[in-house]
Amino acid sequence: MDHRLIYLVNIILVNVILAVGLNVLVGYTGQISLGHAGFFAVGAYGTSLIMMHLHFPFPAAIIIAALIAAFLGFIIGLPALRLEGPYLAIATLGFGLTIMHIIGRWEIFGGRMGITAPPLDLGIPNSSLSFVIKGDVQIYYLILIMTVLLVIGARNLMKTRVGRAFMSIRDDDIAAEVMGVNLTIFKTMSFAVSAFYAGIAGGLYGFVVSFFDPFSFNLILSIIFLVMVVVGGLGSVLGAIMGAVLITYLQYDLLKNVENLPYLGGLLVAISKQWFTVIGLANFGGIALGLIMIAIVIFEPLGMFGIWIRIKKYWKSWPF
Amino acid sequence: MKKVLIAVMIVSTVFMISSWACAAKPGFDSKEIRIAQWGPQTGPAAPWGSVARGTDILVKIVNDEGGIHGRKIKYFIRDDQYNPAQTKAVVKELVEREGIFAFVGGVSAAAGMAVKGYLAENKVIWVGPATAINEYVFPVQPYLFGIYPLYEDEASILTKYAVEKLKAKKIAFFYQNDAYGKSGLEGCKARMAKLNMKLVEESSVEPGEKDLSSQMLRLKKSEADVVIMWVNPTSATIALKTASTIGFKPQWISSNTLSDYVLMNKITGGLWEGVITGAFALPPDSDTPLLKKYREAAKKYAPEERWGTFYMAGILFAEPLIEALKKTGPKLSTEAVLKQLNSMKKFQGIGPPVTWTPAVHQGSDAVMIQKCGPNSTYITLQDWTTNELATWKKKK
Repeated sequence: MDHRLIYLVNIILVNVILAVGLNVLVGYTGQISLGHAGFFAVGAYGTSLIMMHLHFPFPAAIIIAALIAAFLGFIIGLPALRLEGPYLAIATLGFGLTIMHIIGRWEIFGGRMGITAPPLDLGIPNSSLSFVIKGDVQIYYLILIMTVLLVIGARNLMKTRVGRAFMSIRDDDIAAEVMGVNLTIFKTMSFAVSAFYAGIAGGLYGFVVSFFDPFSFNLILSIIFLVMVVVGGLGSVLGAIMGAVLITYLQYDLLKNVENLPYLGGLLVAISKQWFTVIGLANFGGIALGLIMIAIVIFEPLGMFGIWIRIKKYWKSWPF
Repeated sequence: MKKVLIAVMIVSTVFMISSWACAAKPGFDSKEIRIAQWGPQTGPAAPWGSVARGTDILVKIVNDEGGIHGRKIKYFIRDDQYNPAQTKAVVKELVEREGIFAFVGGVSAAAGMAVKGYLAENKVIWVGPATAINEYVFPVQPYLFGIYPLYEDEASILTKYAVEKLKAKKIAFFYQNDAYGKSGLEGCKARMAKLNMKLVEESSVEPGEKDLSSQMLRLKKSEADVVIMWVNPTSATIALKTASTIGFKPQWISSNTLSDYVLMNKITGGLWEGVITGAFALPPDSDTPLLKKYREAAKKYAPEERWGTFYMAGILFAEPLIEALKKTGPKLSTEAVLKQLNSMKKFQGIGPPVTWTPAVHQGSDAVMIQKCGPNSTYITLQDWTTNELATWKKKK
């Protein structure tokens, strides 16, 4: 085994945190966001910049950055009170793109060139209390702990009054309001919670990749995040986790190495060279990802979570 | 029961990971030397992917000639979609799973910055990143060797050309508001100061800006006879189109990033004709024996590819590494190749003459000056020219 795998697992865990948070918004509250790369960017830049310029320890920095993201989420939540469906999608899309451009334009954020993440210091930097985490393996432990905590947090949140309010908004916002659910509070809260998760994920992501530029947080990333949630299964924490794992794995590993698959690989390379482009198999990744998405939406609207439920049911009554 | 199970699973994953050992595999054996490159093959930056595919031609030529001292080169290309997180993943995979002796080229500054430290830690040589970034070469990185001329140097050379050969009296500078554009501006200003001149106008553009009429009007008002631009292909296209509608026709001069005349003429609708650019490679239609050989090989091995500047760049970024491998002889090791690279002196392939010493890993400060003729042909105005003002040369 090697560092590459640990790195991959780290990226997967970061995406799990983000997908679980996005699922609170999309799956449980029934709102949409095409701007989560923006919150992700706020987390990444916020954490690194607070550590670099204010010399805060990592835990404080990442929480402040995530709170900033949450606040921005709250702001975006306000138009969501009046916007629905495609209109909300466009509003959030605008937010994501704006963040990318603001960061690129301001030199204090490192401009378009990007910034290198500072040493990951859990204690107070440059003092006797300094405790620096180094390398993929140590970061892995940190991310693992945070992922477990945040996933448990999301699970529990959904079982409280707040979670039930989210779901009632998703199912019918007018009925929810009649029952006494305050739409203003809970819709904006859903955005804020979701953005908070994205902020934490972004903060960790910065240290996993160690260098990032504004372009890393583009629209495609927002869409990929949404794909994770939809493919995994809307309205299920486990689904979001499965979606994040599958999509990240496909993107970073399997689809990159299809040509090494036995039998199938050679065939695909030949087909790709013949009918697609000069670059051979690379295009296949995008096509395969698209096909998987279409197939899941058509055949398994509940996503991977639906498949999981069926498997569970099957084994419950096995062998009868 | 379920909770216990989950806890056990988590603990066991933790245990598994802690027992993983990590080591970069050696990059060569008695039969092959493994070389690799990342580059966007899909996604928004896919057109630059041809750099990585160009290197493949050189590798095929070397292998057909019998390899290097009995070893064939095995060449890997990985698509990173212009995303540094993906670059890191593919680079780790290559280094740890395949074992890579050296990387060549590599598009995207952010991608390079993300993996620079990792490559150095694993003692993997990296020759000819496909971008000019000061952080790559200053301070010297023992395993990283730059070829691409710095933008400051290029801008300085082009400015000198404009003043001395084109007899320009009024020069304006039009640049992209980022590190790339600003280093161009700096180089130009340094040269202007030396010549006791001042820019008549400096105008900047944000990448992605679609309306450049105010910039063009300002440039027109400045009555500049030469406008030097340090922008991306889209901005250049909009600038030229806007300028032509308002009747502003200066001599445009551009950095080498826009030296693919065929492409530029296509997207500007023929307005690129007459534009002067810097160049880091011989013209694609040049008839020098070496370039001819490459062009023939490309026809043979990759007939579907367009023979253009980026494609050639892939070849020239790899040339010095191949040279060093050949010189090293059959007793191959990273140290031995480093020694050859560090003593490379005025090596000339189809790119600029490359010189490296242990103290300076920026290999060149030379560009050619070319002009886009009719039908996107290349007219060479000035052969390889160095920048005598280059600040980094004095530092050493």
